[in-house]
Amino acid sequence: MPDRTKNDHTSNGMQCNEFDLLLSDALDGVLSGTVLDRFQTHARICKTCGPLLAEAEAGRTWLKGLTEVEPPASLVSNILASTTGVDTQRLRTMTRAPQPRISWWEHAQASYLEPMWAIVRQPRFAMSFGMAFFALSVSLTVAGVKPSDLGQISLRPSAIRRTYYNTQARVVRYVDNVRPVLEVQAALRGIKRNMNPAEPGPAKQKERKNDTTQQPEQKQDRNYSQTGEKLILASDPLGPSNRDLPVVSVTTYRRFV
Amino acid sequence: MEDVQVVAMLVRRCIAGDATAWEEIVQTYNRRIYNICYRFAGTSDDAQDLTQEVFIKMYRTLSSYDASKGAFVTWVTTITRNLLVDHFRKTKQDRMTDSMDSTASDHEDAQPLSEQIPDQSAPPDARVRQRELSDTVHQALGKLSPELREAVILRDLQDMDYKDIASVLRVPEGTVKSRINRGRAELGRLLQRTYRQVM
Repeated sequence: MPDRTKNDHTSNGMQCNEFDLLLSDALDGVLSGTVLDRFQTHARICKTCGPLLAEAEAGRTWLKGLTEVEPPASLVSNILASTTGVDTQRLRTMTRAPQPRISWWEHAQASYLEPMWAIVRQPRFAMSFGMAFFALSVSLTVAGVKPSDLGQISLRPSAIRRTYYNTQARVVRYVDNVRPVLEVQAALRGIKRNMNPAEPGPAKQKERKNDTTQQPEQKQDRNYSQTGEKLILASDPLGPSNRDLPVVSVTTYRRFV
Repeated sequence: MEDVQVVAMLVRRCIAGDATAWEEIVQTYNRRIYNICYRFAGTSDDAQDLTQEVFIKMYRTLSSYDASKGAFVTWVTTITRNLLVDHFRKTKQDRMTDSMDSTASDHEDAQPLSEQIPDQSAPPDARVRQRELSDTVHQALGKLSPELREAVILRDLQDMDYKDIASVLRVPEGTVKSRINRGRAELGRLLQRTYRQVM
């Protein structure tokens, strides 16, 4: 640091101490007239004050280039918490977004129904439910149950018992009616088998083996069994050892009182 | 910056127990106080703690504010400055960052800022360069003695006039100007040396 304690007296009459006092005003741009001229002349002539002016100007420019820093977002709430102890109502409303009022049905829907529905919507479950519904509807149709009858169902024990016996009698009558038809069919199959022993058609099988397009079952065979021998065996339902066995049809007769 | 009557009313409401008025004061002045603390203390964590302390002290002594004696912002800045001095003494930084005028030779031997900051020769982005520049100036500011530092912070960063600075620092206006000049010159010298070594 140069020694600036002595009062240098330059040719324009300004001393270094005076220059020091005027330096900040000069940088602020408030000097004018003869004072400014003397100041500038001294800065040009004095080997100490000239560099000082340049350095101070540079330092001021650096400092002016500094921008304000942003305080942390939590600073205000921390200050309020440490001074008043509690955050104010306005802060609470700012930090906490207003919750929309929801009904119990919307709440239940969001909490229970939506997750369950998401599971049900999976393809495998949807297919299972579909098949179950189909099987149930077919069963009910066969049993003669109509949806319109459900409203007239009586749940008294005697009524339930009566319904049970009626349904059982209907099933027995159905089997009795079908029995002659089944017996005739069984007899015809036996006669046909005795007269024309079943033979596998190799050529046909070969054709089937070569023509595997457009048929899902055959495509499946191609995927799961790669040999032609298995294809032939699969086409013969009884197999060579069971070919001459008699067909036995069993009918069970049960009577319900 | 502030309408005296509005601030006086705000202070009166606050003293009367109006939490909204206090919140308004905090919202208005937290940025300014945080920036003074950050530039003086150097780190964000210290600045946060100090800002919080300033407001706690302000909250306790708000009734002692006299609008006839000076502007509220000067009063707030005085509290901030006093706490910064206390903080400075507590952390004993004054031994590490002694006055540059008295120990100019120390700075000649000290590690230049160019060795403390990353290479600035090829920053890919102008924003990155600007940020590095700001960091460099901020570091250089921390190298100034506390007397010079507080003077240039209040003048060049907070745009306070010399009279208010003199009131805050409790020194004559001539001393304030002298400190500001020396602080600027010291900073300019440090940064010129730094960038001369980098380039």
